[in-house]
Amino acid sequence: MPEESPTGKHGTVPESACLTYKSRKAGISLSVSGAGPPAMTAVLEAQGLSRSFGKVEAVRSVSFSVDEGALFGLLGPNGSGKTTMIKMLTGQIRPTSGSSRVLGLDPAADPIGVRGRIGIIPEQETPPSFLTAEEYLHFVGEVRQISGIEAKAERWFQFLEFEEKRDVLCKDLSRGTRQKLMLAQAFLHDPVLALIDEPLINFDPIMQQKVKDFLAGYVKKGNTLFLCTHILEIAEEICSDVAILNRGDLLHVGKTAEILRDGKHLPAFFLEKVGRASHA
Amino acid sequence: MLELFRAMMKEEYRLHSTLFGSLSFTLFPVMICAIAFMGTFLIPLLRIAAPSQDIGLSVHAMFLLMGIMVGAFGLLGKEVMNRRFGQASLLSYSARTLPLGDRFIFLNFVCKDTLYYFLLWVFPFCLGFAIASPFVGIPVATPFLLLLTTTLAFLTGLAWVFFLSSAYSRSKKILIGTFLALIAIWALVFFGIGVNLGLYFPPLMLFHAFSLPLLAACLILIAVPFTIAIFLFTNEFGESEKHYVSRISPLTKRLSMFPYPPLAAKDLLDIFRSGAAIGQTIFSFLLPLGIIWFFLSVLGTTVPQGDNLLFFAMTTGIISSTMYTWLTEFDTYGAYACLPLGVPDVISSKVTSFSVMQVIPAVFLACVGVLSGSAGTLIPALAVWCGIAFYTLAVTVYLTGLSPSVLVYSAKTLISYGLLVGPVLLIVTALAMANPWYAAAALLLLAPAWWILRAGKQRWATRDQPVF
Repeated sequence: MPEESPTGKHGTVPESACLTYKSRKAGISLSVSGAGPPAMTAVLEAQGLSRSFGKVEAVRSVSFSVDEGALFGLLGPNGSGKTTMIKMLTGQIRPTSGSSRVLGLDPAADPIGVRGRIGIIPEQETPPSFLTAEEYLHFVGEVRQISGIEAKAERWFQFLEFEEKRDVLCKDLSRGTRQKLMLAQAFLHDPVLALIDEPLINFDPIMQQKVKDFLAGYVKKGNTLFLCTHILEIAEEICSDVAILNRGDLLHVGKTAEILRDGKHLPAFFLEKVGRASHA
Repeated sequence: MLELFRAMMKEEYRLHSTLFGSLSFTLFPVMICAIAFMGTFLIPLLRIAAPSQDIGLSVHAMFLLMGIMVGAFGLLGKEVMNRRFGQASLLSYSARTLPLGDRFIFLNFVCKDTLYYFLLWVFPFCLGFAIASPFVGIPVATPFLLLLTTTLAFLTGLAWVFFLSSAYSRSKKILIGTFLALIAIWALVFFGIGVNLGLYFPPLMLFHAFSLPLLAACLILIAVPFTIAIFLFTNEFGESEKHYVSRISPLTKRLSMFPYPPLAAKDLLDIFRSGAAIGQTIFSFLLPLGIIWFFLSVLGTTVPQGDNLLFFAMTTGIISSTMYTWLTEFDTYGAYACLPLGVPDVISSKVTSFSVMQVIPAVFLACVGVLSGSAGTLIPALAVWCGIAFYTLAVTVYLTGLSPSVLVYSAKTLISYGLLVGPVLLIVTALAMANPWYAAAALLLLAPAWWILRAGKQRWATRDQPVF
């Protein structure tokens, strides 16, 4: 990121990140401090999370925790339940059983509180069709009550190199540009935790590298990142911790370094785990 | 041809059955059949109040409107697909990935819509009527004739809206020109020589007096616009990038009196930039209401003169409530799911925008009242419209949340809607017939509307949003 990064200072939650639109309008102030607890405190915990859609069990009794400052990669093949996990953790859907805590809040009980504090990039980029790219960032700024939104949006346009698309309707943007927009909206309010689903998939290699560097820098500043992906090379490169999900079952949770220390690469490790589970 | 047609039929069925559940959707035609069956037993009672001709007129008008509504999807179909289904694509938009021409696909789309909605709406209705008709002394041939003429009425609506949609895809000027020409012809005939063209609606005339020349006229009335629609059809909706100056922040400041100013500003931009402000107002509001007024004025023998405006106000109230659907068509809740906004926040914002948009029906109703010489009952008519519009809106929100346009096909939803709205309409009708000013009591509906709306917001706050 450029010198004046859109990301907040190390360990600090800007006020804008803490409150929902209504509570700010009503003048209610919440005292959430991102500086808070020392390292190795879990900022995200899942306990026996399960979710069924009719007869299909998308996620089966998944438990793990993500420490503050981690870049946690949730890996899995298509249809493994990654998106369902991220939706449960961000309060978009409720678990069938089990519970979770995100920054100390229960997403099922207080989804708006959770979404007020975190950044989210959904699996499918869904900026509103009839707002321009710039208007969408300003809209997010208005909803999240972010001060100095014009300057922040401008920095994101420059950083992700899509200034010339700022006045184009979102429906007319390419997938890559829409993804840039969704990336910008997720970090616009300087969240201490971001949950992002396949954030690099539509980018060219140069932009992928730029965004990877940004994500690594974001975590270095003490923030936490929960990344869903099936691009294993990227996960190996940037994730400090990985979990492997397959057909709704959690097959592995641990440090990436531990896998590499055994002389293995993440893709081989992943294929071994998933292959073994598929044959079981 | 047949493979694509079969695939489109399957696609339409799977789309609906996925959205509403297989059982619920399969029950939908059964329910239509049951309603027609039970309704047929009321015909002897209805004949006391209304001549058979008026009943026939109402049925044909209903199927004409149905055809218009089904066809109207073509107008904004592409946009709706983009907004609601995101990455998903339907066969009708697959011309670029298959070695098939746009017009060929559109022809299949037209045939599919014709058969699909015939099986979904027209056939079950006529079947219910046919089963019950021997019990009420209706001649055996009548249900068969009704099946033919209601199909023709449905196809007439479908054909003309397809034609207008295709014209729109080529040029908005052609669309507006055609639309204005149709209104001018109707106005000239109605006001100039005092003839109600509704009485000369060919499928209705065919129902009353079957003849082969009349049947040919009906077919021409359908075939000509269909053919022109297929000829005019283009899949290129001017997809060039449009550039706009940023308006959201200034609008948000101007709308600061609204409960959710950024959402209100977004609604406003959605409505104007999508073309819905003009397109939806014409096709989903003015056109159906124009046709209803047209047929209502023909039903002069049934509805006491002077009270037409009150019944029209009731209809306007129901159709006004569908403006909520316009506001929810632009995006799914997914667009808000990464923001600290709950479903009740979004519903509240849409309801506020809906309230502002009620200026359109209010002005429209006032104009109709004055122009038709019914200014004397305008105040109770406005009260009726207002009460019904907000009550039906509240029921819609309670039953469908942020997805009214897709959940409407659920049999359970439709039955619940009928049970919640039907008795209220009967009461207001009874009041209107007793004394026009009694009908003004419809304003009291605002109280239950507020309560139902609140319950609806709570209901949808605790549910996962449907994914389409």
